[in-house]
Amino acid sequence: MNFGLNVPVIRLLIVKDWQLFQKQLAAYVLAGFAALTLLGLAKPWAFYLGSLALIVVLVAAACFAIATSLLVERKEQTLAFVMSLPVSPLDFTAAKLLGNLLTFGVPFAVLLLGTLVVILTTPLPDGLVILALLLFGHVLLAYSVSLAVAMQVESEGWNTFAMIGSMVLINPFLMAIGQIEAIQGPLRGDAIAWSLPAALILAGQLLVSAAALAGTAWWQGRKAAFY
Amino acid sequence: MTPPRPAAPAASFDAGPAVRIHALDHLRALAMLAGVLFHAALAYSPLLGSYWPAADRENWWGVDALAWLLHLVRMPLFFLVAGYFTASLLERRGMSGLARQRARRILVPFVVAWPLVDGSLALATEWAAAAVAHPSPMLRLIRDWLAQPDPPSLPPRTGHLWFLYYLLLFSVLLWALRTLGWGARLERWMEKGPQHLAWALPLLLWPGFMATGSPHPAPESLLPEAWALAVFGPFFALGLGLHGRLEWLAPLQRWLAPGGLLCLGLYALLADHWTTGATVARTAWAPALLEALIAAWGTLVVLLVGLRFLAQPSPVLRYLSASAYWTYLVHLPLLFALQYPLMDLAWPWPLKFAAAVAATTTLCLLSFELLVRRTPLQRFVG
Repeated sequence: MNFGLNVPVIRLLIVKDWQLFQKQLAAYVLAGFAALTLLGLAKPWAFYLGSLALIVVLVAAACFAIATSLLVERKEQTLAFVMSLPVSPLDFTAAKLLGNLLTFGVPFAVLLLGTLVVILTTPLPDGLVILALLLFGHVLLAYSVSLAVAMQVESEGWNTFAMIGSMVLINPFLMAIGQIEAIQGPLRGDAIAWSLPAALILAGQLLVSAAALAGTAWWQGRKAAFY
Repeated sequence: MTPPRPAAPAASFDAGPAVRIHALDHLRALAMLAGVLFHAALAYSPLLGSYWPAADRENWWGVDALAWLLHLVRMPLFFLVAGYFTASLLERRGMSGLARQRARRILVPFVVAWPLVDGSLALATEWAAAAVAHPSPMLRLIRDWLAQPDPPSLPPRTGHLWFLYYLLLFSVLLWALRTLGWGARLERWMEKGPQHLAWALPLLLWPGFMATGSPHPAPESLLPEAWALAVFGPFFALGLGLHGRLEWLAPLQRWLAPGGLLCLGLYALLADHWTTGATVARTAWAPALLEALIAAWGTLVVLLVGLRFLAQPSPVLRYLSASAYWTYLVHLPLLFALQYPLMDLAWPWPLKFAAAVAATTTLCLLSFELLVRRTPLQRFVG
C-alpha cells in the first residue's frame, strides 16, 4: 500500500536528510549526554543547569532540523535538483515530513526518555512527570507549527519568526501553567496525579501538532506541480 | 599525515574471521574469575562490613588489602579490553555493524537479564532478611525497612550489570565523537608514545577518583555518573587506540617490574588512608591521586604481563574466556544465594569463602555448558 508514492526515492531523500543531519545529531547527543550527567550529580545547581541544557538542546534540535532540511535547501536551490528526480510534490512532501520527524523525533524521544528516567529514578518528586510532559508537549507543538510554516511559506523572515516565536513562548507557557493550582499542586508530590487542565493542555498540544502536520501534508499533496 | 598502520591482528569476538589475540582473551577470563573472587571476598571485608548485605560476622583486614587492589585494576582492564574489541568490530563491520552487534550482544542481554538478576537478588535478600539468624548491619536495615507497613520503593538501579550499561553509553559516545570527526584526536594522542600515556593517564583519571567515594563504588544509577565516565572512559579509549598495535606498548616492558613494585608501594599508602574507613561521595586529593596512579599503572602492568606470559593458546583459559560473559551475568545472584545461608554456619571464614567461590564458579560453568554453549543463547551471551 503506497498510495501512488515513489517509496524508494522517498526513502533515499529521507536517508539524505538523515546523513546531512548526522553531525548535528551527534552534537545534540553529546550535549544531551552532558545534561543528563549534570542531572546525575544530584546537586541543586547541577539540576538547574542540566534541565536548562536539556531544554536548550531540545529547542536547538527542533530549529536546526527544520533549518537544515528546508530553509537551507531552499536557499541553495536544492528543489530545482529534486524536480529532476522522478518524484511528485506529494513524494517530496512525504519525504520532508518523514525525514524531519525522524531527525527531530530521535533526539526528542531520547531526551524525553532521559528526563522521565531522571524524575522517576532520583529523589525528585514523581509529580514532575506531568510538568515534563507538558514542557515536551509544548516543544513538539512549537516544532510542528514551525515545520508547517516552513513547508508552506517561503519567506525566511516569517520562518525565523515562527521558529523563534513559538519556541520562546515556552517561558510564558511555564508561567501560565504555574498559575493553575490543579497543575501546580501535585508537582511536589510523589504521585503522578493528572488533573483535568493538565490532561486537556497535553491533549490540545498533541491534537494541534497532529493537525498542523496533517494539514500541511494535505495542502502540499494537492499540488499538481512544485511551483 | 598518519603513517599507515600494519594490518590489524583483530582480537576474537564473534564477527567473522579474525586473528585471535590469546593474551586479551585470557586476561578477560582471569579478570572475570577475579570478579567472582572480589564479590565473594566482600562478605569478609572490614571496610564494607556495614554496606554489604552478605557481610559475615567474621572479617579480616587482609581481605581488604587484596580485594581492593584487584578492584582498582580489574574494571579498568575490562574496559580496556572492551575498547580493543570494539575497535576490532568497527574495523571489520563499520558503525552500523557495530550498532547491530551492540544491540544483540549488550542491549538485549542487559534488558533481559536486568529484571531477572534484580528479581533474584531481591528474592534472596528478602529471604535472608527473614531467615538469617546472624544478619549483617545492612541486612538488619533491610529487615526493618521490609517490616514497615508500606515500605517505600527504591529507584531502579542497574546493579552489577552497570558494566553493560556503560558499554552501551561508551558505544553511543564513540558514534557521536567519530561523527564529529574527533577520532583523529585519539590518533594524535597515541602518536605521542607510551611514556606520555604512562604520565598522562593517571592525571586524566585523578578528577574522576576525587569525585567519588574511596574505594570507588559501582556506578549503578541509570543516569550517567560523571566520575565513572571520567575513570573508565579513558581506558575504553585506550583500548580503541591500542587496536592493531599492541606492540606500541613494548617500550613500557622494561618498566614492568619497577612499575609493579611501585603500584604495591602506592597501594600500601592508599590502604593507610582506609584505616579510618571508606569515604562516601568525595575523596581527598591525595588518596584520589594514589587511586589514579594505581589504576593506570596497575592496569598497564597487568596488560603487559598478560601480553608477555599469556600469549600462548590455552584450552582452559579459552573455555573460561568463552564463559566469561555468562559468568558475569549470573555469578552475583548465585553468590548471594550461597553466602546468605553460610552466614549462620560456625565455619571459619576462609572455608566459607572457598566454598562460596568454588560453588559459584562450578554453577556458572555448569549452567554455561548446559544452557548456553550449544544453544541459541550462545549468539547473545556466549
